[in-house]
Order: sequence, then structure tokens, then C-alpha cells
Amino acid sequence: MPKVAIQQPAPDFELQDFRGRTIRLSDYKGQKHVFLVFNRGFR
Amino acid sequence: MAQLRQDYHLFLEKGAEILVVGPENRSAFAAYWEKNDLPFPGLPDPGHHVLKLYGQEIKLFKFGRMPAQVLVDRQGMTRYVHYGQDMSDIPPNEELLALLDELNREID
Repeated sequence: MPKVAIQQPAPDFELQDFRGRTIRLSDYKGQKHVFLVFNRGFR
Repeated sequence: MAQLRQDYHLFLEKGAEILVVGPENRSAFAAYWEKNDLPFPGLPDPGHHVLKLYGQEIKLFKFGRMPAQVLVDRQGMTRYVHYGQDMSDIPPNEELLALLDELNREID
């Protein structure tokens, strides 16, 4: 299985989701893993 | 994204949330989410703030080479990165779910 365990602190960010809810990456710390998907364009 | 929707419950079971970040605006996100009935948060980033943050600070991907996927563990550390040449080049869920199992074993 190709796996890149790059082991760096993930840069924190805060964005509003499209419903207006504020999402901050660091809010998940100690709570959940986060799978970040950087999308380019919807198909 | 349909692939992620299908297995979203498995990600949740393994203690993971899915966040989708993209350069589209809020209305484009809303339309796409409604059309595809996506259960996870969609984060419009039309200013490319987070896209740049990750591109510059972590060098996870080069611009023009998205999409990219990053798994951040509970400790806030990056544990997996993948970037594709096109929209269809995405890691299979099985691989991600197996990695989540590994992370959960570490924590336990």
C-alpha cells in the first residue's frame, strides 16, 4: 500500500462551510481524524 | 465524491470526518451538495487561502496538480498525502480505511 507518513503538524485553518458554519481544523484535534479532500472543480 | 459518500459511515465509524475544500464559491458548493446529497461538510475557498496554505507550507501538491487528499490524525499530524493528475485519480477508500485502522491501533 503506498503510504506517505509525512508526520508534520497540519497547518490549521478556518473556513465557513457553504451553510455558513465555521469549521476549524484544530477543533478536531484530540477528537477525530480528518480526511481533507482538496478538490479542483466539480464534475 | 460519490465514492466518499458511499463509505462515509465507515469513515465515521473509524473516528474520521471528511472535509472537502475547493476553489468554487458558496453557491456552487450548495448546488453540488444538493444535487449529489453529500453528507460531509463542503468548504468553499474561493480565495485559495487553505489551498495555498497547504501548497506552500506542506508542499503536498503543486498547483495545477490537484486534487489532493491529506489525512490528518487526531493529534493534528499529517499522515497521508496523495495527489492526482486528474479528478479520477483518487485513492480507493479501502486504502484510507485501512490506514485509519492503523492509526486507531496506534492510539489504543
